[in-house]
Amino acid sequence: MSEHLPVFLFLVPFVTAVSLPIVGTRHPTWCRPLALGSVSLMSVLAIINVSVVAAHGEIRYAFGGWAAPLGIEWVDDGLAAIVILTVSLLALISLIYGEGDAGTARKQSPALYFTLILLLISALTGIALAADLFNVFVFLEVAALTSYALVGAAGGRALVSAFRYLILGSFGASLYLLGVSHLYVATGTLNMADVASRLPDLMTSSSVVSGFIFLFLGLSIKMALIPLHGWLPDAYSDAPGAVSPILASSVTKVALVAWLRIMFSVVGPGTEVGHVPVLELLDVLGIIAAVAGGVLALTQTDIKRMFAYGGISHVGLILIGASMGNATGFAGGVFYLINDAVMQAALFILAGAALHYYGARTLDDLRRVRDRSPWMTGGLVVAMMSMIGLPPTGGFFGKWNIVLGALQAESYAAVAAVVLSTLLTLAYFVKLLGCLFQRAPSSADAPVEVPMTLSVSLGVLSAAMIGLGLMSDPIISFFLEFAHRGGM
Amino acid sequence: MAELLEALFYRPNFVVFVTLFLWGVYIMLIHPNFVKKLIGLYIVQTSVLFFLVAYSAKSGATVPILPPDTTTVDAAQYANPLPHVLTLTAIVVQVATLGVSLALVSAIYRKYGSLEEHEVLERIE
Repeated sequence: MSEHLPVFLFLVPFVTAVSLPIVGTRHPTWCRPLALGSVSLMSVLAIINVSVVAAHGEIRYAFGGWAAPLGIEWVDDGLAAIVILTVSLLALISLIYGEGDAGTARKQSPALYFTLILLLISALTGIALAADLFNVFVFLEVAALTSYALVGAAGGRALVSAFRYLILGSFGASLYLLGVSHLYVATGTLNMADVASRLPDLMTSSSVVSGFIFLFLGLSIKMALIPLHGWLPDAYSDAPGAVSPILASSVTKVALVAWLRIMFSVVGPGTEVGHVPVLELLDVLGIIAAVAGGVLALTQTDIKRMFAYGGISHVGLILIGASMGNATGFAGGVFYLINDAVMQAALFILAGAALHYYGARTLDDLRRVRDRSPWMTGGLVVAMMSMIGLPPTGGFFGKWNIVLGALQAESYAAVAAVVLSTLLTLAYFVKLLGCLFQRAPSSADAPVEVPMTLSVSLGVLSAAMIGLGLMSDPIISFFLEFAHRGGM
Repeated sequence: MAELLEALFYRPNFVVFVTLFLWGVYIMLIHPNFVKKLIGLYIVQTSVLFFLVAYSAKSGATVPILPPDTTTVDAAQYANPLPHVLTLTAIVVQVATLGVSLALVSAIYRKYGSLEEHEVLERIE
């Protein structure tokens, strides 16, 4: 039974997504319970999956009984299991929150709205599991198409942001496909392990080199690596309030996971592609993204855009950790990726709620807020601690391991970049809190009443941020073991 | 220079691919009209498919279907079906992208009454 877990993880949201339009037209009120139920079931399966993978090692699933190089293969290893667990739990929380902040799209056609969200989740699961380069392309496109539609669902200016996202995202997908075709022409196979076994003699072949360049460019657009981040701030700040938490927490992170998988299971750590040490190049790109993202976040006046740039800077931090070439840095980077997903979900829920309950879109609007909700202020403080990286939140332990890895690799520029990006994060949160607390609440004002859904989702996310910090030791040693087995 | 030209002369497929790809990128970057941007995107996507098909072409090969009375299989006689299947899947993805993008463009047109990027941006302000 447990050998079929990876497929069930994918099928649960997928089957619900496909059946919702049929059920939903007749019984519109069933949509939400069905979607919540299917994501809950998926989360339970994901927890079982993590424990199975931790106990028995990776699960390799060959579709249709065709063994690896000929058929399509999924690999359910430690990285994929944890990423899927994170995605499914965050999707569940975003769905719970979404009820309180339902936009027009959700009310007009609930069936289609939930279909899109469930398709997005199943596609993200597919990206995390796929061990086949072309399979990753198909799931990247399914995830991207649902994201375009979800961003555009807000209507108005979001339509233009979604269109720009679509143009850049599809261009990225074309580059990825071009990279895959180059690698296929050079190696004659698409399975990641099989490509990896044929590559060592081909590392200087111009077809392989350009293949990896196109592949990386395509995925960098998807993961919003500076300077290819142009689509992200507009898309995420204009997306419906209920949608941006799930988009911001999952889509870019899962594209990053796809790159990490290609980086470590196809190229192999420490390899030179065409005489260029790939990890050093990634290190430099990560440093630029981490610092530039922080600076750009500091200059924003729109709350959602500020958080979006914060996420862009964190993509750089994760890349720094993963490109150190040692297990400590890799484990720190992946642990920070999980943390960042939780933090982005919390921040975008806060920003959406600020718009919904305070009517505040920009920092100037925040100055006028009189009756602050204790739930939202508390959530913001915990999220801020985790973003800056104060113990005992998970953000601290992620950054700590990234810095340890950088020191081990003697890459002092990377250490400086992590510290600088931390200072910039501190700076923009000070700016935010300065605006929020500028006006003391008068005793006559009662705090804003927030619905249960918001307080529950914020409470769970805050607990998760602190819990990840307290539980950091077993999780990081899990990733350390994963990295050691991968040959680091 | 002469070597480069000679190399290009022997690879007309590659020249066509690069031309189509860059042409599509140029249209996407330059044209202010949303539908024309989509046409540019479509040309880029098609050029990648062309690349894939061009490399999988094999002269003198036939479709990879074995008649029931085949005893020995000579792989050199058959075209490799995999790139064509990839192309087919990529076309499906491309069509889905086109559908979503046209839906977005028509929603923009209904909302702002224009397909020119600068006019739409003016009306948003």
